[in-house]
Amino acid sequence: MEKNLEKTLDDINNTEGIIGCILADHAGLCLGAKGNASTDSAGIIAAIADQVTKLEPKSPPPVISLQNDSRKCLIQRQGAVVGAIYKDISM
Amino acid sequence: MLSLERIPDQIGHLVLTEDGAVLTVSGGELENDERFANIIIGLVTLTNKIDPKAFPNNEAFDKISITYPDHCYIICLSNKKIHIVKKRLLSLTSATVEQPLIDV
Repeated sequence: MEKNLEKTLDDINNTEGIIGCILADHAGLCLGAKGNASTDSAGIIAAIADQVTKLEPKSPPPVISLQNDSRKCLIQRQGAVVGAIYKDISM
Repeated sequence: MLSLERIPDQIGHLVLTEDGAVLTVSGGELENDERFANIIIGLVTLTNKIDPKAFPNNEAFDKISITYPDHCYIICLSNKKIHIVKKRLLSLTSATVEQPLIDV
């Protein structure tokens, strides 16, 4: 069952510009992480997705993008799973 | 000071202090929206420490965007203040749906 998850994470991580990716479940527990992503951040990513859902509970889950000068973090909830992708934008 | 009202397609704006107090600068759909302000403060607090492995040197995020299909919120941290703009988005999907209607 985890094969699909592992393959998806590998595919994402092998895309150009992406330095890491992580998936968390509804409770913020880590389902998988690849590349430059630490499994510890699963909880905080789920918490960010939950916090943003409070803005417009009736709207479909938005894409959340956090950015600094060199890195970008994209977070989206898809059903019970929250995914985060880390990108290097300094190139 | 640059006016947030002049941003193209903006439908609401808000400026908060770091502790969450709504400054006098607010307008449009976000005018004096304290519920919204509190959620944003919670979000900014959460983003302070996201992933030490992927984001080393404590490089804090200075721009956050929340994108829905037809609108988005842009949050910028600058000069110890939190600037928020709500913008209307022209989605590609609605444009393609509208296309046949014009032909008819």
